[in-house]
Amino acid sequence: MAVVVETKELLQTVVASLVAGVGITVVFSVAIWGVARFADLSRNERTLAAGGAAVLAGLAVLVTLAAVAFGIVVMSSS
Amino acid sequence: MSSDVILVIVVCTALAFDFTNGFHDTANVVATSISTGAARPQVAIGMAALLNFAGAFISISVAATVANDVVNSGVVTPTVVFAGLIGAIAWNLITWSFGLPSSSSHALIGGVVGSAVAAAGFDAVIADGLVGKVLIPAVIAPILAFTVAGIAIGLVYRVVGRQRPGLVTRGFRYGQVVSGGLLALAHGTNDAQKTMGIITLALVANGTLGADADPPLWVIVSSAVAIALGTYSGGWRIIRTTGTRIIKMDAAQGFSAQGAGATVILASTHFGFPLSTTHVINGGVMGAGAGKRVSAVRWGVAGNIVTAWLLTLPAAAAIGALAYGATAIFGSGALGPVLVSLMSLSLIFAIFSRRSRQGSPVPAG
Repeated sequence: MAVVVETKELLQTVVASLVAGVGITVVFSVAIWGVARFADLSRNERTLAAGGAAVLAGLAVLVTLAAVAFGIVVMSSS
Repeated sequence: MSSDVILVIVVCTALAFDFTNGFHDTANVVATSISTGAARPQVAIGMAALLNFAGAFISISVAATVANDVVNSGVVTPTVVFAGLIGAIAWNLITWSFGLPSSSSHALIGGVVGSAVAAAGFDAVIADGLVGKVLIPAVIAPILAFTVAGIAIGLVYRVVGRQRPGLVTRGFRYGQVVSGGLLALAHGTNDAQKTMGIITLALVANGTLGADADPPLWVIVSSAVAIALGTYSGGWRIIRTTGTRIIKMDAAQGFSAQGAGATVILASTHFGFPLSTTHVINGGVMGAGAGKRVSAVRWGVAGNIVTAWLLTLPAAAAIGALAYGATAIFGSGALGPVLVSLMSLSLIFAIFSRRSRQGSPVPAG
């Protein structure tokens, strides 16, 4: 069976899919959380906390875009 | 002369398969974006068509040709390829007419296996390749995507659950434009390659190309155009099943399903473990539904889809074998493929025109 199934590639695919799939989705939802908190905190004139939420949202968007760029590189190099 | 006629028929049939692949499978890619209102139907389909076209050019290495991994290449002739393609096209149209998202890759593999067995017996099949490259990935793909999407949506609801729903929905709709685009690109890269591989295989079998030749530019361009046109024609029946009938989806679920689908496909591409895009995307949709509430998934519809997946290989193989048998009745010349093509075209036209009148776009909501 081990010859028929490429076990190593299978395990790598499972682990990478779990980490990347769950990770990227959660990171993007953190970006949305940051934007939502920024809107709420700005309305309440809590400038510093709003700025922190905006920075967090920006970082999360950057990580998501970097993951998309990495995905395109993976596709083009396969 | 006769072999050139057969080759032309094989190339046309391969491009017809590529077209059905476009409207059949790419429907899965855009279904979630349309059903959550992330994109208007024509915009989503148009974008997917363009990205599928672009995807076909991203990597020009011939995808592991279907026939090399599952049947002995020595038995592959242009007629075997032709009959295999007829099996794949027929099964794609049958499942499309029922709105069932089945795998075009498996239909193609089943068709080629069936026609090869009809031509040379069961020794033509490489059993290890069929199990390792097709059957096991077919089981793993939906389970993996289901798990990833299910875990992801559970965490997403924890992160954004207390925020204003309007803003959250708008955010995930923007995200879906990107995740849907990535899926369409991945689909174009994987699926247009299949047709390029099949046409190249026929050119090699005919002696037109050397055994190690890359696909010529006209093969790459025509495959990209065929899958893009198929995508643009839109498989509304399958869009309706994937987008609205498995679960009633919100934007966060749509993003989780597409995100899970894209990462699973990319991870499998990167590590060289081939998975069906159809199985991955539909597994992701079911997982995104079950992650919210198990009863949110219409398990009856999911069961029908899984049944279609189980039937794909044997049914396409049976049609491929029949097509080869019908072709062989008329000898090894071009007459058999010509007659089978004409007969298939009339049947396809009849099914397509009857069913396409019944299909209607899914309203963005």
